[in-house]
Amino acid sequence: MDIKTIGKEIFIRKPSSEPEGTISSKNGSENVKNQIKIQIKDLSLYYGTFKAIGDINLEIPAHKIMAIIGPSGCGKSSLLRSINRMTDLVPGARAEGEIFLDDWNLLTPGADVVEARRRIGMVFQRPNPFPKSIYDNVAYGPRLYGIRREQDLDEIVERSLRQAALWTEVKDKLHQSGLAISGGQQQRLCIARALAVEPEVILMDEPASALDPIATLKIEELMQSLKESYTIVIVTHNMQEAARVSEYTAFMMIESPETRMGRIVEFGETDQIFTRPKNQQTEDYITGRFG
Amino acid sequence: MTTPSAAIPSARKSYISASTTYHRRKITNGLLLGVTGFLTFITLVPLIWIIGFVIFKGGQYINLDFFTQLPRPMGMPGGGVLHAIEGTIVLSTLASLFAIPPGVLAGIYVAYHPNTWLGVLVRFGTDVLSGVPSIVVGLFGYALIVKTQGHYSALAGGIALAILMVPIIIRTTEEMIKLVPRSLREGSLALGAPEWKTTLSVTLPAASNGIITGILLGIARASGETAPLLFTALGNENYEVGRMVTGGIAAHQGPLQILGKILEQPVDSLPLTLWKYAQQPFPERINQAWAVALVLMILILLTNIVARVWVQYRTNKLLGK
Repeated sequence: MDIKTIGKEIFIRKPSSEPEGTISSKNGSENVKNQIKIQIKDLSLYYGTFKAIGDINLEIPAHKIMAIIGPSGCGKSSLLRSINRMTDLVPGARAEGEIFLDDWNLLTPGADVVEARRRIGMVFQRPNPFPKSIYDNVAYGPRLYGIRREQDLDEIVERSLRQAALWTEVKDKLHQSGLAISGGQQQRLCIARALAVEPEVILMDEPASALDPIATLKIEELMQSLKESYTIVIVTHNMQEAARVSEYTAFMMIESPETRMGRIVEFGETDQIFTRPKNQQTEDYITGRFG
Repeated sequence: MTTPSAAIPSARKSYISASTTYHRRKITNGLLLGVTGFLTFITLVPLIWIIGFVIFKGGQYINLDFFTQLPRPMGMPGGGVLHAIEGTIVLSTLASLFAIPPGVLAGIYVAYHPNTWLGVLVRFGTDVLSGVPSIVVGLFGYALIVKTQGHYSALAGGIALAILMVPIIIRTTEEMIKLVPRSLREGSLALGAPEWKTTLSVTLPAASNGIITGILLGIARASGETAPLLFTALGNENYEVGRMVTGGIAAHQGPLQILGKILEQPVDSLPLTLWKYAQQPFPERINQAWAVALVLMILILLTNIVARVWVQYRTNKLLGK
């Protein structure tokens, strides 16, 4: 098993090597499909002296949904959070390696964290709307970036809520508290809030695990419509969800009980991972033999 | 169709059934319920007794003059405690102004940096300060302000009360900030917001209900204190804010000068007045002391009720009820 090889099999071409104007061929979407939005090279994350994840090499394609699956404690969330540098907030946490967003390495010393987080939005496990009105929740991000004109804010709020498929449900109560709506609506509000700062990538940390099946379905439908404009990385415990929503899947596991270091065991197209896994551990996990 | 609940033949003898312990459980339950109920009643007795007694004794001597007039000379009937009511308001306002900003800010700091040396120091200091007897705080105010200024003043009293309020405010702010879920902060930080912005516009509003309650309880605590005022505010039966303002305007003084006059004079407060009146040999004064006790009690009760209603209102509004 070699992650790099697997990655290169699928995404061997870089966007820059793609000659212009080849889109008109019968496989017109091929060009888009093979664009790499995020490239992770030899990433390790340490909490103090503990190496939580290591040897991470991953190429996340643009306008696709990539799922990260794996048993609890394998470092899925740590990997996700290092992508927009939320791990910076943990005292003693330190990332090594490279994370490229297009051709910008986020881990260069002095890289602008704020810009990284604006371009890479995040949705959390539990809906976490701010204790403010629905409108102010969505306008929070744009205001941070200096947008003050009411007209502009109105437009951003409406557009973001529409994108998050929430507009029709809340358009008459924009000035009610964001906590007064249902859990599923709150989660879509959080998605709208993330969309309002015009990110390119959206990281989702088990976004539906606290929701009922109907609300989950809505979030999953929403993800499908969002991938037209965004690249989505989702961490999930739920293998069915990963199989339903994603095009690519990375399976993570700890290297050994002694080191407890998480690494990527297998990465490939979701269909392949779930039907013809190349690695025995992957097969054991997806068939429910452990985890 | 066969009935699903047909008795299952059992080869074993069954030792446990509900009926063996039923009566014993019922008796134990009744007994414990009786004991807890009785003990609850016993703790309520002094509360009801005190409140009832103060209302009974003080209620008779409360009238409009009591709230609008200054005290008459000793031994003369009539007069009121306007000076003490105004003094209490002036002292509480001063104490709040001095205590709330540092208290809330220190609380935020301690909540986020509990393990830095400054965080540990502040927490330790808060614990010690909240255990210092209030009379000692009064002596401290005397040495620090009264001695240097050369006279007793409302300012000194306000500072002494602020010292008593600060630890309460630090503690509640810290606890309330810690209760705000981390995910809420992360939501803001993930949008690229800096920490200070996150604290100001997400964490503090989320914790504000509890912080406001803490502040109001701190004010209630401070406005019921007597001991720290003995050495700082002293007492002043001629304290009348209205007269100082009109007098100041008549003498063409600016607002700052008038404010200075209000702050630099010695001042009475309700608990201080209660303490003094109760020791005097004149029946009027002793009766008035009961009335003062009633007013003080109602004032503190009102503060608590306002705190609760306010928090309930805000919570409901937040949850959209």
